[in-house]
Amino acid sequence: MKKTAALQLLPLWCALAAPPAPLPPIKFTESRLENGLRVFIVEDHYAPVFSIAVSYNTGSRDERPGRTGFAHLFEHMMFKGSENVGAGEHFFLIFNNGGNMNGTTNADRTVYYETLPKNQLDLALFLESDRMRSLEITQANLDNQREAVKEERRIGIENRPYGRSYEKLTELAFDNFAYKHTTIGSMEDLNAATVEDVKEFFRIYYAPNNAALALVGDLNTKETLEKVKKYFAGIPRQDPPKSVDLAEPARTEERRATIEDKLARTTQIHIVWKLPPGGHVDIPAVQQLRAILVGGESSRLYQKLVKEKEVATSVFGGAEERAGPSLFHLIINLRPGKEPAEVETLIDQEMARLHGEEPNEAEVNRARSMSRRSEVSSRESSFNIAYRLTDYTVLYNDPNRINTQLAKQLGVSAADMQRVAKQYFRKENRVVVTTLPAAQAAKPKPGGN
Amino acid sequence: MLRRALVSLIAAGSLGAAWGWQAAAPVQGQPQSLKGVVLKKKAPVSREMLRVKMPHPVERKLKNGLTLLVLENRRLPVVSIDLVLSATTMSDPPGVAGVAEATAALLKAGAGKRDARQIAERLSELGANLNVVASYGSRATHVYASTLTENLDALLEMFGDVLLRPTFPQDELDKWKKRRIGELQQQRASEFFLGNERLLGVLYEGDARAIAAPAVESVEKITRDHLVEYRKSFYRPGNSLLGITGDVKPAEIAAKMEKLLADWEKGSSAEPDLPLKPPIQTKGVHLVNRPNSVQTFLTLGNRAIHRTHPDYIPCLVLNQVLGDGPASRLFRNIREEKGYTYMIYSSFTALHYRNHFGAVTTVRSEVTKDAVDELLREFKEIRESPVPEEELDNARRAIVASFALELENQNNVLRQILLLREYGLPEDYFDVFPAKVMAVTADQVQQMARKYVPVDNVQLIAVGEAAKIRDVLAKYGPVVEYTTDGKRVTP
Repeated sequence: MKKTAALQLLPLWCALAAPPAPLPPIKFTESRLENGLRVFIVEDHYAPVFSIAVSYNTGSRDERPGRTGFAHLFEHMMFKGSENVGAGEHFFLIFNNGGNMNGTTNADRTVYYETLPKNQLDLALFLESDRMRSLEITQANLDNQREAVKEERRIGIENRPYGRSYEKLTELAFDNFAYKHTTIGSMEDLNAATVEDVKEFFRIYYAPNNAALALVGDLNTKETLEKVKKYFAGIPRQDPPKSVDLAEPARTEERRATIEDKLARTTQIHIVWKLPPGGHVDIPAVQQLRAILVGGESSRLYQKLVKEKEVATSVFGGAEERAGPSLFHLIINLRPGKEPAEVETLIDQEMARLHGEEPNEAEVNRARSMSRRSEVSSRESSFNIAYRLTDYTVLYNDPNRINTQLAKQLGVSAADMQRVAKQYFRKENRVVVTTLPAAQAAKPKPGGN
Repeated sequence: MLRRALVSLIAAGSLGAAWGWQAAAPVQGQPQSLKGVVLKKKAPVSREMLRVKMPHPVERKLKNGLTLLVLENRRLPVVSIDLVLSATTMSDPPGVAGVAEATAALLKAGAGKRDARQIAERLSELGANLNVVASYGSRATHVYASTLTENLDALLEMFGDVLLRPTFPQDELDKWKKRRIGELQQQRASEFFLGNERLLGVLYEGDARAIAAPAVESVEKITRDHLVEYRKSFYRPGNSLLGITGDVKPAEIAAKMEKLLADWEKGSSAEPDLPLKPPIQTKGVHLVNRPNSVQTFLTLGNRAIHRTHPDYIPCLVLNQVLGDGPASRLFRNIREEKGYTYMIYSSFTALHYRNHFGAVTTVRSEVTKDAVDELLREFKEIRESPVPEEELDNARRAIVASFALELENQNNVLRQILLLREYGLPEDYFDVFPAKVMAVTADQVQQMARKYVPVDNVQLIAVGEAAKIRDVLAKYGPVVEYTTDGKRVTP
């Protein structure tokens, strides 16, 4: 009797396993203020909170040689005061009123966001508009944030195992300066940044017509839009920034590097394949291919490298979608004593298999289920919706991607996946960086320190 | 559908005239300087406080003694499960650390008629997650499961198998051990891991709370029998909690769970007796030598309180002022004013078994001494001077107001509800929480600081290149040095 309890459940599920219902679209309004600021509002009265995201169409791609790391250093300056907000008062007010906030910069865009209790809408709009209008730029604040950013670089690169490998990889993956350097930049260039640089960057890129703003949560659309106008309409537009050429020459051969890392204790292989821009029609197929390759414990590479051959402790990866040429990352942490060459051979075999035959139906279905689940989960947070709306606007000029992406992923066929695998996951289109623990590289003694 | 039944917006007048309903108007005033921050006070801050009401779950006791708590929530077509088993890593057999962790990890490596791969494939097919986690220091092993509503029954079938019919295949255990040993080596590269390991070693020397991760030799000793025995002893329904939230009807899910878990034999597990220890009385300085470091990872702390201690809420306010987030003193002073660090915070680890206070930061090696001095100066100040009223009010308001943000995520809400039960806190805990926070006085905060923020008896843990910082650290007391393998070098 007890056994049948569990068994009864199975047919019930089978009956329900018909094609799942489509997700309801996220309803957003889109407006454009006279100064060019694009504004998105989503009402969601589930919890008494809202999130705001302001994304500027600028990132480390806009830096010039000698000033790497500048876009991100600038992001820090956005918390150091404006005409009506003191240095540090931004985060002081957000956290003391129960909110959360941060800013983040990548190659293509810089986004600032807050989540707050619903009664603090004016506070958020005041803070965001004041710094868009009137950033206060002083030498003392720049010097101070330069130190914080240099510590951020140390924590992320210089004091961290495999930190340098990422820099090397970025350098080898791109030929065009725009993407050929990391967003965190070099110490030398961080030291070189001047107040004049900050002022100029602010004028060119931090203009309403170069930004997108989204508000999501327990809000009234009409009232909220009126408030947005009140706070932002007076900010003058600027000449649109010159667009940066992101084009990359085609690759004809694989690039490789081996790094001896004094902090790492085990070997890591990091591979990237070059992809078309994030808005390209092939990207959904790459996303589905990701699920098949490294999506959880049922994936091909986990099964092969971690379980069957036991050469790795973990494997993960995914597409880093950019406005321009993008990357697919694959990171493998090797078990101590395993040879990188052996692991690479296994990866090559898996890639050859992808080229040679379409993924099977079960794999395609698993990839679809995972995509659907992931999309549903991403809708739980107002911040996530605000962030996606602004990101899709700034990167792809396509806010409605928030509603179309899943359908595109679900529409990917096995043949599509095989085609993109053959097109992009080729040896001559990849970069391989192998990181060896320096102690081991010098004298092969396990666990040396 | 979107529902807002969870929430009521209440005028805060009942909790203090200073923060009742008021028109949102800029607070005017002269620019005033605090450390690391300039306040122009022109931004419009609403003084109204959103008072959030936590939902109450539907509770059922299953025939096997398991307590079921259901929070219905139809916002998204998703169901999440959190089974809290009173099975802690601190019940590992003596000398064989890693058994609780291995038991949890191996539940998915074979159960019912499926092997590890079939379980993994089935979960992906369902777009479902099923994870079993026994973290070091936690009082419980959690079985987390979630899926789209349409696949709930299929997930439950797997959940039942994994919980009640794991097969613990020998070859999967062998593979897990090899993998885990590799990971243990890998994590010794991380200054965060090394610092935490040393802190726990100092604060909980000689008992199971000190273990941040098992030793390689210990993992090597684990056998299949250990797992079978551990599961039999500690995966018991009597003192476990099954929390479910999402797109479910309480009566329906209760009936399903009653059937699904009918085979689970009654009984409760033994919980380890690891009482709260008072703070260490004498200062200690501990250095983990991590060659080639360019930064020093620092923790300054000592033993403090557990979650049900009467000092818990005043300590929350104390920590909010001192080191919780960018508005706190440590962040404003040591990052924003001094520029020594990117990351700094303090926290009370107020769990069942681990009970300590610590301030954590990573600074470039050259300013190690300046950073330690500044931390100790902040510690002294909060012990010696009452927190000014405005700063105290900011901290109290921050704690109460931030509660609204928890409500966005149904798993957070479930976690809070389970936490009340796990710690035996009263049903109305969250109803009275805001008033209790707002009632904390500057005097109480100072008392808490004197009890738990250590200066003369501080335990200072540093991870960095010893040659660069050894002499600097010696100024604070005799330095005990360790390798990254956790071996003590100082005799």
